[in-house]
Amino acid sequence: MADIVLRDVSKSYGAVQVLDSVSMHIRSGEFIVFLGPSGCGKSTLLRMIAGLEAVNAGEIHIGDKRVDQLPPNQREVAMVFQNYALYPHMTVRQNMSFGLENIGTDKSEIARRVDEAARMLEITALLDRRPAQLSGGQRQRVAIGRAIVREPKAFLLDEPLSNLDAGLRVRTRVELAQLHQRIGTTMIFVTHDQTEAMTLASRIVVMNNRKVEQIGTPMEVYSKPASRFVATFVGSPSMNFLPVTVLADEGGRVVVTAGGTRIATTIPTSLAPTLGQGLTFGVRPDALRVAPDGEVSGTIALVERLGDRTLIHTRLEDGTVVVGDDIGKSTLEAGQPVRLKVDGSAVHLFDAEGKAYHAD
Amino acid sequence: MSAEALPNREAVAAARSRGDGPIDVIGLALTAITILVALASFFPIYWAVITSIKPDGEVISGSNSLIPNRVVFDSYIHIWNNTNIGIWYINSMVTSLIITALVIVSSAGCAYALSQLDFPGRRVIYVLILACFMVPMQALIVNHFVLMAQFKLLNTWAGIILPQLIVPVVIIVYKQFFDSVPKEFREAAQMDSAGHLKILFRIYLPMNWGVTASLAIITFIGAWNSFLWPFLAATGEATMTVPVGITQVKDAYGIVYGKLMASAVVAGLPVAVVYLIFQRRVTQAIMLSAGVKG
Repeated sequence: MADIVLRDVSKSYGAVQVLDSVSMHIRSGEFIVFLGPSGCGKSTLLRMIAGLEAVNAGEIHIGDKRVDQLPPNQREVAMVFQNYALYPHMTVRQNMSFGLENIGTDKSEIARRVDEAARMLEITALLDRRPAQLSGGQRQRVAIGRAIVREPKAFLLDEPLSNLDAGLRVRTRVELAQLHQRIGTTMIFVTHDQTEAMTLASRIVVMNNRKVEQIGTPMEVYSKPASRFVATFVGSPSMNFLPVTVLADEGGRVVVTAGGTRIATTIPTSLAPTLGQGLTFGVRPDALRVAPDGEVSGTIALVERLGDRTLIHTRLEDGTVVVGDDIGKSTLEAGQPVRLKVDGSAVHLFDAEGKAYHAD
Repeated sequence: MSAEALPNREAVAAARSRGDGPIDVIGLALTAITILVALASFFPIYWAVITSIKPDGEVISGSNSLIPNRVVFDSYIHIWNNTNIGIWYINSMVTSLIITALVIVSSAGCAYALSQLDFPGRRVIYVLILACFMVPMQALIVNHFVLMAQFKLLNTWAGIILPQLIVPVVIIVYKQFFDSVPKEFREAAQMDSAGHLKILFRIYLPMNWGVTASLAIITFIGAWNSFLWPFLAATGEATMTVPVGITQVKDAYGIVYGKLMASAVVAGLPVAVVYLIFQRRVTQAIMLSAGVKG
């Protein structure tokens, strides 16, 4: 196991820059998730750590060794590809042994490691099968097994769950988390699925438009998004945004008027920006709950019943639609008037550049 | 129009199977043309076989009978006893097998480099290989002859083999195949500490032996049937291949058709056997080289 350090790493394809001065410190044993929309550069960054893409500028260190000029096999990392890339003409055992054979590992040691990994992943019965005879979930386990036997310093996983159906994806996600707990090796996982990121990560690296937007624990990213992009991208349904028309100070705390409603927050006035900077007020649906004494009033435009909760799409007087939250057994229907109460301790302000200011 | 008025597909099929449905005139015509073309293609082979088993007298008499009056194997016995057909067979077998092996290995390596490695001039080299299609063997034959003579390789297996190692179509088919393999396989192998030679021979080629088998078969058939270059490069009977050797089958009275046809049948036998055994692979190879997915 080893720390992975990236210093001002950049990547361009000709005139097109795909990563711009990315830096981070991944601690040994962490489960790091690179999260971002398609084309943000997260897979490219992972491939650069693996050695499959050249680094144009900056440094990559794994442990105490600088690796950005080393070939992939000398970086002591293992990769699980999105399509698994299992060699179709080899059995599962041969697939798992291939890398060890190439570095001259003793045959008995190869057999021991393969059997141990197979037992851990519950694929012992599949060792003599070929990839074409395996289901998607089994292939995924074999791909992980192929990585495990090499006993790498870090696992790099490039959207390994994206080819699985919804049910299997959830099960495999849990198994992956358990595997990480068991072996404790650093894992870097790329996904554009925020649920995977939230459930698996020790820390999430949110990326957008060639840059890192925020690095933090799942709850930090969710409750204190560093930017409007992070607030929008993380969380489902997405955060509600309303333009701020009045900004006032009441006892050192910000009071805003947004969507025609006066809302008291716990955002310290000393930290908040001043009005006139194109401020936007943000509140997640779970901080905007249906309540008779709610300060936000409107008419229900749509009701989405999710079982454990109900999403209330509410049209405000100025025509803006916000999504609020109600209990699973809500009896509300579209067309009814409704009042929503804002949790002032879970709101955010964003300036014109997208920079966020949070409640205490 | 009512639904009942439309004859359904099952009813038409049943009527056809009873023989009382509409006759597919175009289908019948196409079948008839195919049969005629097949017969026309097969006829020279049939003629060669029956000529080779007719007595010499019947052949010389100008009999055009399609069935021999008497079946004799004198021509086969004659070519076995009076020609070097055994040596020609060995020459053909050795040169064809070596050409096949070298063409497959070198073409696969060349195609892998063109497909998977990034190096300056890659596209130019590929265009040059494509351009080789436009230069027939006949146009280069004098150069080849002079070159082989300077290397003192005439009348040697090496002299017969070397100019026949240029088979651009094999490189092109391999490149198309390698291009179609997802790059993750190469990357996974690189992560597994495999070098490019190992990636080619342990991962890429075994992934689909069908491509290699098909290309090997058509290369072998081409090398076995090759006439012009071996005819020029092998002037002594000791290095002649079967197609060249059979031109030597004559006696004091000139060409003896029965014996000539017997040697032609013997010469074509391996190709016919290879074709019959690997018919599907040969078809696949032809489709691959024509850019059609097999």
